[in-house]
Amino acid sequence: MIITKNLQMSFGDHQVLKGIDQHIEKGEKVVVIGPSGSGKSTFLRCLNLLEEPTGGEIWFEGTKITDSKNDINKIRQKMGMVFQQFNLFPHKTVKENITLAPIKLGLMSQTEADKKAEELLERVGLPEKADEYPNMLSGGQKQRIAIARSLAMNPDVMLFDEPTSALDPEMVGEVLELMKELALDGMTMVVVTHEMGFAREVANRVLFIDEGVVKEENEPGEFFANPKDPRLVEFLSKVL
Amino acid sequence: MEKLREIYESFYNALIPEQRYLAYLDGLKMTLLISFFAVILGVIIGIVVATVRVSAKSSKNVILKILAKICSIYITVFRGTPLMVQLMIIYYMIFTSRNTNPIVVGAVCFGLNSGAYVAEIVRAGIESVDYGQMEAGRSLGFTGLQTMRYIILPQAVKNILPALGNEFIVLVKETSVISVIAINDLTKMAGFVGTRTFDPLPPYIIAACVYLVIVLILSKLLSIFERRLAKSDHN
Repeated sequence: MIITKNLQMSFGDHQVLKGIDQHIEKGEKVVVIGPSGSGKSTFLRCLNLLEEPTGGEIWFEGTKITDSKNDINKIRQKMGMVFQQFNLFPHKTVKENITLAPIKLGLMSQTEADKKAEELLERVGLPEKADEYPNMLSGGQKQRIAIARSLAMNPDVMLFDEPTSALDPEMVGEVLELMKELALDGMTMVVVTHEMGFAREVANRVLFIDEGVVKEENEPGEFFANPKDPRLVEFLSKVL
Repeated sequence: MEKLREIYESFYNALIPEQRYLAYLDGLKMTLLISFFAVILGVIIGIVVATVRVSAKSSKNVILKILAKICSIYITVFRGTPLMVQLMIIYYMIFTSRNTNPIVVGAVCFGLNSGAYVAEIVRAGIESVDYGQMEAGRSLGFTGLQTMRYIILPQAVKNILPALGNEFIVLVKETSVISVIAINDLTKMAGFVGTRTFDPLPPYIIAACVYLVIVLILSKLLSIFERRLAKSDHN
């Protein structure tokens, strides 16, 4: 579904990604871990061109999205993204946050979008918050709404950029729980996170990115039980 | 007592005989019309210029870069020269024909001038909105312009409303400058009444009161609007 070929990214002289080749299949749940500054978030943000790669190719559902001839806005409609800082629209109610894009992009009528929003709010467990504004919600609730907002576009893949890193510890659980449910429903997911428990439980494959390259990748059992790369061994010894 | 009576008579003379109050009303109408269209033109110019400048910063598009350069020259020129001089130049160079519509002259001149200030206010507003909002909008599939329109600008406007209100108030008062090119706005009409009664002070005081009332009404409207926009802030 997503293929990256020799993906490179530099900010000025600083090369953050030094050639990443990945093949993410439909329905796969890929968890990306790594120390801060390793390029893992940059890798994720390149996948929907929030960061424009300085080298290499990215393909999504058979379309080369790094080719400027292809309309990236159309492609992004199929790639949901969830941010560390939630980035809900503070001037819109919860329901409007969810319905804004489908309506304005002409994908749904107001009635359809409202119905979809109600379903999604039910699904993330916050139906009573429909008419409230985001700053009345807790961090965990905000992130669940942000996930609902992405789901409203019926994406084929969901990208999560450290979705629980800005949350109080007691709210991490509710967001991870929702992500697990999404995974069980068969959603293709790429998740950058520090939640090793989530990686172990949900991932089909775990990537360890360090110094701009994928140093190790494996299915989670083997990945955590028998890490081979010395940097990964060191990293795991610190975080587990 | 004698003094008070004198004052009363001079104001009476400035208002009532020959239906002089109608002169102020005509002038008021002209001032309001010019202000209204100038504000609209200024806001449109301001938003467009600010959007171009902000977008050009993070873009590699050459045309956008050139447009941004033009916009910044426009701002420099209109903020760097006196309004009165701008008015003269626009009036004598561009509207040379005798029967130009005074409202058009006024709206264009004050709109162009105000646009330069509004552009800087709007730019500050856009930059006050967290960049994550732009990323969230883009990740949903909005174009840069759509994100600007539906997500960034509504939040920016809320942040800059006090500054924008201030600019509108300044604009309404500055329209009085247009009396120098023989357009019959409120200030000019007050002047006419003064030459007619040989007593210029009362008409100008009346005009001053009228400006004050306009500004007070405008401030009130803006604060109501501000409160309405703030509804998403309450915790």
